[in-house]
Amino acid sequence: MQPALDHNARVHVTSVIDRRVVAPGVISLGFRAPELARAARGGHYVMAVPPTGEAAAVALGIYEADDNRISLLFFLTGKRTRELGALRPGDELSMFGPLGNGFDLTKPPKRATIVAGGVGIASVLLAAEELLRAGSRVELLYGARSSAYLVDAKRFARLGCDVAVSTDDGSAGHHGFVTQLLEQRKPPELLLACGPSPMLRAVAASAARMGVRAQLSLEETFACGVGGCWGCVVPLSAESAQAPSFPPGDRGGSDVVYARICKEGPVFWSDELRW
Amino acid sequence: MTAIAMPDLSVRLGKLELPYPTLMGSGCYGSGDEFASFADLRKIGAVVLKSVTREPRLGNPTPRLVHVAAGMLNAIGLQNPGIDWYLEHDVPKFAGRPCVLIGSVAGFSIDDYAYVCERLASRDEIAAIEVNISCPNVASEGETFACDPRLTEKVVRAVRSTTDKTLIVKLSPNVTDIAGIARAAEAAGADALAVVNTVRGMAIDVETWRPRLGNVTGGLSGPAIRPIAVLAVYEVARAVKIPIVGQGGIETVSDALEFLLAGASAIGIGTANFTDPRVPERIVAGLSDYLQRRGLSTIAELTGKANVGRLSAAQIEGDAG
Repeated sequence: MQPALDHNARVHVTSVIDRRVVAPGVISLGFRAPELARAARGGHYVMAVPPTGEAAAVALGIYEADDNRISLLFFLTGKRTRELGALRPGDELSMFGPLGNGFDLTKPPKRATIVAGGVGIASVLLAAEELLRAGSRVELLYGARSSAYLVDAKRFARLGCDVAVSTDDGSAGHHGFVTQLLEQRKPPELLLACGPSPMLRAVAASAARMGVRAQLSLEETFACGVGGCWGCVVPLSAESAQAPSFPPGDRGGSDVVYARICKEGPVFWSDELRW
Repeated sequence: MTAIAMPDLSVRLGKLELPYPTLMGSGCYGSGDEFASFADLRKIGAVVLKSVTREPRLGNPTPRLVHVAAGMLNAIGLQNPGIDWYLEHDVPKFAGRPCVLIGSVAGFSIDDYAYVCERLASRDEIAAIEVNISCPNVASEGETFACDPRLTEKVVRAVRSTTDKTLIVKLSPNVTDIAGIARAAEAAGADALAVVNTVRGMAIDVETWRPRLGNVTGGLSGPAIRPIAVLAVYEVARAVKIPIVGQGGIETVSDALEFLLAGASAIGIGTANFTDPRVPERIVAGLSDYLQRRGLSTIAELTGKANVGRLSAAQIEGDAG
């Protein structure tokens, strides 16, 4: 996977330069953060410190990044995200990053398929842009609960992606799961996905049937975000190159090891996950 | 020009001397390296490393972590590669770290503790040993050692016989008489006590009716437990003469001062690192400012200075007037 650029990963104090409500309860915040913006790749994230400092930092995927600005896209789900969502242009925020191992795009294919579910879209825009720049044909399969939650679908189309959408209520595109759209496709050379856990499991199953390996960006509750606490783990094949250092041969009879989603991930190969 | 004397923030725990009174809690700070780009490791007292056991441990099933009001619940379950692998592969990487490293040992029998402690303490990279007798997240009797003064005494005596390095025994708040446990640890040769580990807790998802932790129960940390921990430090400080590392929900200078005044000589910072990795540096700077403002020259002048005496009749009358 594409490693985080550790030398650029540090605490950044920056201020909000724009705020958009992109869907009901979904906020995009833009920041002037040149160092972060230049280091960020698809699948990287930051830990954002809630302004009151009374709760743990929140892991948020880096949605947009250009030379000077990044943006973060998130659902208002609890106290910490509501605090972040209440920020207005001019308000200051601390964040540290970029963190994590992003999507591996080192061999851009002729055709790539990206599956995104809900705010999982926040982790795939940079990857789509990078693939398009490298000359890949990119198809985005994008699922949400209803048409109101399809954030920036048209923007992906304008960028040059082939976009197909699905909604749970049938208000746009296919009425059903986004993974049903994937099942209708020919096996892609490169398959990337980010979204809720049931969707990722379905993508992994489809990938296995198709005989391709998918890169899945996992979400989990983080505490430290840097690999210090081992709170956000996922079981991984002990043979995986992403498996953390652990004694070979004796894992208490288990052929899995727990890998940190924050440190070894958040992007993992679908066939190496043992969840 | 008059030189302004900087307050002395150094502390001594047994033979261990630390430049600052701030220890990064075990299991919260990895091996220091993970935080190196976000925090200045030269400005912290020590990193207490993640606990290591005799055999490798996979740890508990997921989810292992839940954010709750004013803190978090965790049930990591001592995931670690076991002492053999740890000594061969992990400890060599610790050489040259810009901060003091304190090893942490856990176990399931007295023999386990002694064995792991002896091997870990034999390494130069490890400056001192924390004896974790209070992890709430291991099945069966993991916490028994910290819940029974006789077992506390036996396990501490056993590890004491294996090393001359400073031993810091970490106590559990999940007991009725923490002072009695503290006295047992002191009598058995502990050089210092870490007070406290996490408080047992549980959270339930009201939609699925399932526990929110894979392990069902976990350890609560963060500001939610601070008053519990301050009281524990206060009670332990009156029971023993050895230094105390006060810990439990410390996020600010003011929090740290509470623990010192209650009787701690140093403080442990854990969950607050997850809010902002610069918290330890801020607390050190704030303690220095506080001492200067109060005209004090050493951190030791604060230890146990909480005024808990009853008000005199004259004071009460004065207030009423």
